[in-house]
Amino acid sequence: MIQALFIALSAFGLLMALGTVFARNLVNAALFLVAFFFVVACQFVLLEAEFMAAIQVLIYIGAVAVLLMFGIMLTRNIQGDETTIVSRQWRLLGIGVAGSVLIVLFLGINGFKPWTDLGIRPEFPVTAETTTERGQAIIAMTPTVGREMMTRYVVPFELAGLLLTAALVGAVVLAQYDNTDEKTASAEPPQVS
Amino acid sequence: MSQQIPLTWFLYFAAASFAIGLMGVLMRRNAIGVLMAIEIMLNAANINFIAFWRYGDVPQGEGPLTGVMMALFVITIAAAEVAVGVGLILLCYRRWRVADVDEFDTLSG
Repeated sequence: MIQALFIALSAFGLLMALGTVFARNLVNAALFLVAFFFVVACQFVLLEAEFMAAIQVLIYIGAVAVLLMFGIMLTRNIQGDETTIVSRQWRLLGIGVAGSVLIVLFLGINGFKPWTDLGIRPEFPVTAETTTERGQAIIAMTPTVGREMMTRYVVPFELAGLLLTAALVGAVVLAQYDNTDEKTASAEPPQVS
Repeated sequence: MSQQIPLTWFLYFAAASFAIGLMGVLMRRNAIGVLMAIEIMLNAANINFIAFWRYGDVPQGEGPLTGVMMALFVITIAAAEVAVGVGLILLCYRRWRVADVDEFDTLSG
């Protein structure tokens, strides 16, 4: 039952990923991408990481997909969407490289015994009081994530905050509308502003 | 309830998604399309992190949430990367009026 659900979900997700790659219209591709993100969130639920599923929906669907959509809307080409896919021989090359990588990955996963033996995931008691630290983390992931963020991973946490601030400021500076861009676009020598 | 799914199935799904994303990176001309394909590849890596965390053993003294924390930081970096990437693409579009990666050839001589 759960296996059939997994297969159906994965097939849908891979179809959506293919749609993202092959769709001629970029807005359609972004919508396919949203569906793929949602399928990944469902996979997280199947892996009993519901907190990660919520984060996936909030950040990827709520922020990243919307940002990409704005990017698409602001850079629509005048000549339409006919140029979003490359010519025939490059397409064949891309499919060939991706197929080779896929075959190598499948053979590697198939032939590695420690992974193929892991058919059953470790069990943890479901009751809240008689469980190990790891079982507690699976049952109540959100407080555990908060505690780990503030104790063991506090330096990466602060660094991530610094990186996000820098990225935010950098994105604003980059995308700021500036009239000197128009001047340099019309073949004048670039001027230092 | 969901004990019957083997680890390798998640790995197969992640590998297939990664290959599709790689195909998109190689084939798309539009820079935003390339960014979207990169997001597919990052999501495949995240599925691998969570799957190995759930099925494997946690090393001693590393806390109970190793793979989850790694995936969280990957998501953080991916969000920053998309923000800066879209900003750069907007800048290039404003300057050259195209958003195709093979048109940005000023440095190619």
